[in-house]
Amino acid sequence: MMKQFAKLGLILAIFAAVACVGLSFVYAATKDPIEANKTRQVNESLKDLFADADEFVPTDVLSADPSIIFQTAYQARKNGVLLGLAVKAAGSSYGGQSVLLVGTGLDRRIVGVRVLENKDTPGLGANAKNASYFVDKANRITFPGQFAGKVVTDAFEVKKDVIPITASTITSKALTRIVKAAGDAAAAWIENAAMLAPETAPETAPEGGK
Amino acid sequence: MKRLWKIFKQGLVFENPLLMLMIGLCSALAVTTSVSNAVGMGLAMSFVLLFSEIIISAFRKVIPNSLRMPIFIIIIAAFTTIIDLVMQAYFPELSKSMGVFIPLIVVNCIIMGRVEAFAYKQKVMDAIADSLGMGLGYTWVMVGIAAIREVLGNGTFAGIQVMPDTYQPILFFTMSPGGFLVFALFISFNIWLKGKMQKAAKAKERA
Repeated sequence: MMKQFAKLGLILAIFAAVACVGLSFVYAATKDPIEANKTRQVNESLKDLFADADEFVPTDVLSADPSIIFQTAYQARKNGVLLGLAVKAAGSSYGGQSVLLVGTGLDRRIVGVRVLENKDTPGLGANAKNASYFVDKANRITFPGQFAGKVVTDAFEVKKDVIPITASTITSKALTRIVKAAGDAAAAWIENAAMLAPETAPETAPEGGK
Repeated sequence: MKRLWKIFKQGLVFENPLLMLMIGLCSALAVTTSVSNAVGMGLAMSFVLLFSEIIISAFRKVIPNSLRMPIFIIIIAAFTTIIDLVMQAYFPELSKSMGVFIPLIVVNCIIMGRVEAFAYKQKVMDAIADSLGMGLGYTWVMVGIAAIREVLGNGTFAGIQVMPDTYQPILFFTMSPGGFLVFALFISFNIWLKGKMQKAAKAKERA
């Protein structure tokens, strides 16, 4: 009886070990391309948001909302002068975690929003990422595209000043919340930075008055 | 050769995994909202099915009966992880749009079912024919359903706009009820096709 168990265990262990060895080879071979894909995507989006910037300096920005996590933030700089702040923010949405890259300018306006990760229903919530899906068909504006130019102190309310994706109100609300949180935090950070080191901020930067 | 062809053919119509055996339906309904997803899912499934059937059929004599389930899972999970990693590395966009359904191939009933019912009892060559037939049978139905759902529900085919701009997409088709409707139409079509083919085969026998 004992012998039988040992034999079965051994057979199972052999199968598992062979599978592990095989997988480790595939993992090693695909690790670099997967990493490269991810960093390329972030870099492309950063460059896309702040086309003028020549360097992106990683920075820590704190999230006021515990349900939204700022994975990283980058200062977009040109010749050492701050242009704005890009925050990579993650929060939960309809189909799980969504990751957005939100760019905020020195004038407290959203420069742009890029959807990096959004697992959602194809044809519905997944349209948040679809570059040819327009919430405003007449002006060809995409869902993330509509945030560009908004002031962070705006209401950010779906169906009021934010046009939702058809039949995907939950996704629209969740993504809007992430944009708002990232925009607020970035604006606060920029204000602080302007006070601490006025020489790095250009003269047109707002004085933080209300 | 003729026997292998016969096994292969079973998966296409007579024992089509989706339309006749009716297994592995949840992921089938979920990813058939776009043609590119359906093609990706069909190929990923066929890959996992092919290699799992080969390995399990080749080692069927050394897999003890009482241990067969855990071993099947190990083998299927290994191939699923391989295809998942390869897709993430070389087709990142496709991998993102398929979301959780690639990892879920591990517990797809089609693979478990074919491995248990076929590969564990048959020779390697037969298992290859079976997995190719089942894989192709799965893929054609997936692409067919996805084509109808995407064109009617989104106005596009594989992401390319095919309907005129004035066309108002019928959202019903991208949601699950629309999926069920199209799926049911495919089942009826397959039953009709099966009847036709059986009649033709009988007529041939008599002649």
